[in-house]
Amino acid sequence: MLKRTLVANRGEIACRILRACREAGIEGVAIFAENDSGTLFTEMADFAVKLEGTGLAETYLNQEQILQIAIDNGCDSIHPGFGFLSERADFARAVMDSGLIWIGPSPDAITQMGDKMTARITMKEAGVPVIPGEEVTGGLAEVLEIAPSVGYPLLLKATAGGGGKGMRAVHRQEDLESEARAAMREALNAFGDDRIYVERLLTGSRHIEIQVLADKFGRTIHLGERECSIQRRHQKVFEESPSVALDSELREAMGHAACDAARAVAYEGAGTVEFLVTPKGEFFFLEMNTRIQVEHPVTEMVTGVDLVREQLRIAGGEPMSCGPLNMRGHAIEVRLYAEDPSNNFLPAIGELKKFIAPTGPGVRLDTGVREGDAVTPDYDPMLAKLIVWAPSRDEALQRMGRALDEFVVLGCTTNIRFLRELCTNKDVIDGWTTTDMIERMWPDGWSPDQSGQIIDAGLLIANACESTNHGKIVTSSVGSSDSPSPFSTINRRFP
Amino acid sequence: MMEFRTSEGRVEIDAMRDGSSFIHEGMIVHTGDKLWLEIDGRMHKAVATKVGDVWWVHVMGHTLQFELIEPGASSSDDEGSLTAPMPGKILEVHVSQGQSVKSGDVLMVMEAMKMEHKIVAGNDGVVEEIHFVTGDQVPQGAELLTISE
Repeated sequence: MLKRTLVANRGEIACRILRACREAGIEGVAIFAENDSGTLFTEMADFAVKLEGTGLAETYLNQEQILQIAIDNGCDSIHPGFGFLSERADFARAVMDSGLIWIGPSPDAITQMGDKMTARITMKEAGVPVIPGEEVTGGLAEVLEIAPSVGYPLLLKATAGGGGKGMRAVHRQEDLESEARAAMREALNAFGDDRIYVERLLTGSRHIEIQVLADKFGRTIHLGERECSIQRRHQKVFEESPSVALDSELREAMGHAACDAARAVAYEGAGTVEFLVTPKGEFFFLEMNTRIQVEHPVTEMVTGVDLVREQLRIAGGEPMSCGPLNMRGHAIEVRLYAEDPSNNFLPAIGELKKFIAPTGPGVRLDTGVREGDAVTPDYDPMLAKLIVWAPSRDEALQRMGRALDEFVVLGCTTNIRFLRELCTNKDVIDGWTTTDMIERMWPDGWSPDQSGQIIDAGLLIANACESTNHGKIVTSSVGSSDSPSPFSTINRRFP
Repeated sequence: MMEFRTSEGRVEIDAMRDGSSFIHEGMIVHTGDKLWLEIDGRMHKAVATKVGDVWWVHVMGHTLQFELIEPGASSSDDEGSLTAPMPGKILEVHVSQGQSVKSGDVLMVMEAMKMEHKIVAGNDGVVEEIHFVTGDQVPQGAELLTISE
């Protein structure tokens, strides 16, 4: 059982972990850089300790300083959250060498999964499907021999290569020989090396990940999938569970493979195994994220498992508490970013003068900010995550739309309107979500679907507010010394 | 008559005032404790706040920004100047004062929220003045340098 945990992170995820600590009866310790003074997560901790220095390297990435704070303040464990030091095997090792508990997998597991080539070999040996591919060293004859086992369409690429040289897509067996000759010739000319790599070309695939949990008692389970295909600038904006692309059979097969992957590296704690799933229902290992993920709440909503609480439990040496997988209803998460979707999703900053968050049935807000906070250029522009649960996917989309309608943020540009339009987008409703969909739908950039009347209404409101000084704080005598507060009298009357 | 700058350019509005209500093209805005937009007898809740010279308005699911132009302010839009598209830090300055530049030349690189943004010359010209040095923090809309045609 853990007693005092240092949370080596900030913002929204620090809030999430500190809340879980409090629920579990564990003291939560926050660390914060000077420019994070007074932010929400520092207040949620049992106590907060200031990091010396400026910039990420001196603060949230400063392993020595963070470890020293943990030791000096009697912490018995460190939770790294995501990003920052969460996938640094050297930090995990340093924490453990100091006699503290690292809330995450072993440094060896982090290392094995951190290197893509090592991970691929480890997975292949464990029987987890990897993207079919072979390095060919024996010339054309070997290419022709290997190709059928890789499958079509396939990609020929120079082993030594890069920059597209020696790279050929082959869609039919009859084109293989001529394309292979061309690829090897190009490879030889460009790199002086005609070795080529034959790999299956995966088009129109989906990005689907499986959540796993493993404890120290030999139990490794999966908690179903998350579909995270809608991305902008290669960052996810919209995540859901379950995925429309999986039936229970495929889910079981992928879940089984994910557990095999975790077992292969003796994984402990919460992790995520990412797969590419082809339109034919084949799936291939991409990578494993050895940490809690941003989008973990959708899994929590449909499985009823508190993932962060389980992390704390597992790290404390207890068995995980979850029973058999029981997925119920549908959950969607959107990421609220301080950014301008009509200007290529460029980050924005400003003061959150109004931050009116949605409430009501099935709505969860994991936020790192609140009204009055300043959004600065110093950190990631993700402000909060809005998660909804509903009995069905259609209802979840409708509920998300409703929740976003309630969400008002003024003073800093956000992607709220963009997210709202996604909820009624036909491809999203139909489940045709792919990683390139934002570029495909809005090749010239997105702009809000705004009628002239909306703009006129806005102008009239601005005009009216300016003329009447609307929203300006009217200074009254409250708090001034010459008018006694009625509350002090009440206090005396009811001691 | 009041003038605002929007993303589409400058716009003037001439609303009729009736006490705390303002009327324009069939729409009525009621101010007071709460803000309401009335269209054909239907009331829609609105939220507004002013940051600097900018009014932020949320109405019918949309968030809009209008920068108030004080009467008598110069009407010329800063021609030949290059402004920060977002607040951030100057990473690199590629030009020096008096240098000739061509349209498309990278003049500065700035960083904000972990991303880099290039400030590119829109026209050929000569660098007249550089307002920031490497490492400076700049607010959104700050004039970074001046280029004469």
